Amino acid sequence: MTVLLHVEALVVEYGSGDGTVRALDGAELVVEEGATVGVVGESGSGKSTLGAAVGGLLPAAARTVAGDVRVGGVSVAAMTPLQRRAMRRDQLGYVFQEPIGALDPTMRIGRQLGHVLRGQGRAAVLDWLERVALRDPARVAAAYPHQLSGGMAQRVAIAMAMASEPALLIADEPTAALDSEVREEVLDLVFTLAAGAGTAILWLSHDLPAVAKRCSRVAVMYGGRVVESGPAAEVLVAPRHPYTAALRRSVPSAAGRGERLVPVPGQPPVLTGAAVGCAFAPRCPAVLEPCTVDRPPLVGDLDRDVLCHLPAPVGAAR
Amino acid sequence: MTPVLELDDVSVTFRMGGPLRRTSIRAIRGVSLRVDPGETLGLVGESGSGKTTTSAVALGLRAPTSGTVRFDGSPFPRRRRALAGRMQAVLQHPQWSLDPRMRIGASVAEPLAVLGGGDTAPQVAESLAEVGLDPSFAQRYPHQLSGGQRQRASIARALITRPPFLVFDEAVSALDVSVQAQILNLIRDLQEAHGFAALFISHDLGAVRYVADRIAVMRRGEIVETADAAVFYERPAHEYSQRLLEAL
Repeated sequence: MTVLLHVEALVVEYGSGDGTVRALDGAELVVEEGATVGVVGESGSGKSTLGAAVGGLLPAAARTVAGDVRVGGVSVAAMTPLQRRAMRRDQLGYVFQEPIGALDPTMRIGRQLGHVLRGQGRAAVLDWLERVALRDPARVAAAYPHQLSGGMAQRVAIAMAMASEPALLIADEPTAALDSEVREEVLDLVFTLAAGAGTAILWLSHDLPAVAKRCSRVAVMYGGRVVESGPAAEVLVAPRHPYTAALRRSVPSAAGRGERLVPVPGQPPVLTGAAVGCAFAPRCPAVLEPCTVDRPPLVGDLDRDVLCHLPAPVGAAR
Repeated sequence: MTPVLELDDVSVTFRMGGPLRRTSIRAIRGVSLRVDPGETLGLVGESGSGKTTTSAVALGLRAPTSGTVRFDGSPFPRRRRALAGRMQAVLQHPQWSLDPRMRIGASVAEPLAVLGGGDTAPQVAESLAEVGLDPSFAQRYPHQLSGGQRQRASIARALITRPPFLVFDEAVSALDVSVQAQILNLIRDLQEAHGFAALFISHDLGAVRYVADRIAVMRRGEIVETADAAVFYERPAHEYSQRLLEAL
């Protein structure tokens, strides 16, 4: 398979001086063509920053300190603004958490979608609205974003992201703002459309079981780094990193009868500079001396990468 | 033992459309359920199965089209004020239950004001401590709290009047996994300490199974199975419950 997206040792900081916050601290990620990759982690682990960096969409307050993002082999940082726009238009699709905020409030849905479809006409607009399972396409096309429910608006946003049949769809918690009832339907839609168009998915989520169900690969983020990655089924069943293991233990459906859930103790870190040792060390049940001093190396084994001084062997339960 | 809440053959029909093209939708049909004192009844089901309508009926916010609802052995009083402080709800998004312009302390104390209390500060501090928040949080505004802390605050607000009955409507669905585990443990611990009865509604069988004593499974407006939570670790009877279990 060809590599579509390569994030290489990416370091991104917000603010400056005393107020500096390091959101990404050397994140590594590879997405192959047509793959479905779930990026999981708690709030503040750097998921959204990673997603934004892929399209060169970081806010002005963000600085890329080191590392590189390559889409289709081309460095995003080295592109001219025009090239970057062309890349976003032709190769990337974005779906964000707040669907209504992602749409232009002053423009009717049909017209916005028409812009993305670049003059393919009203029939194509209605066709797309129907493909995202909106019941009354003509009425939706004539509506303004504030006249839609959250679920409907997210369907429109999905149509806009997928209309150009992009190589990569970046979905940043696309269902977090939706009622649990609409969640499954929206996810079904995203994955069905992407499979049909051969689009790779980078799905940023905190919902471990949902990711396990739908994605082929998973990358677990913590403290601005990808601490473990590999095939979804393997990573979540037999984690090699203690953080992944801790996350898994906190999923309610994993608790047997009469067992008590074990939440990950403590709070996720807020980094102000490069982490000295392993960012997870203060909360880790198996912490060793080097963990607080040395940054853990990348240990790769049979397609299962992990950042840990004491990784569990492949196949062993943690 | 008198059940805290009893729904007997309750149906709710919504009417839609203008006078000339009126249609009606039966949101729930013949729902019967019972919550005993100190017990948690889990209610699980898919999109549009009628969970939320059932919770609105249980809270007395929607009158059933047919059937009867009894709270503490008697029908709902005509004046809702008579129920003040005796039932509370914790919702999916804590920002729905916290006024963004009120400090946490004031939000948490509000249910007491309805009952006409005097100095509420000690009770607020106690309630915050129970849900694992430092008393200093009383001075903060909701936007200064994380999602998990906000949900803790809304639980503190729900518990401050020591209600005998609580409804948790998708109370952990919007939270991070590790925070979700903390809140689920908190709900279990608080129930052990105070012995309130609860209706815990969620689409996530894993979470429901973790906190509930008995579980009712809803589908298309009807309850298809009610059984002890233990059954849902092994083999529930109804084919749909089995599918929910397999989906975990």
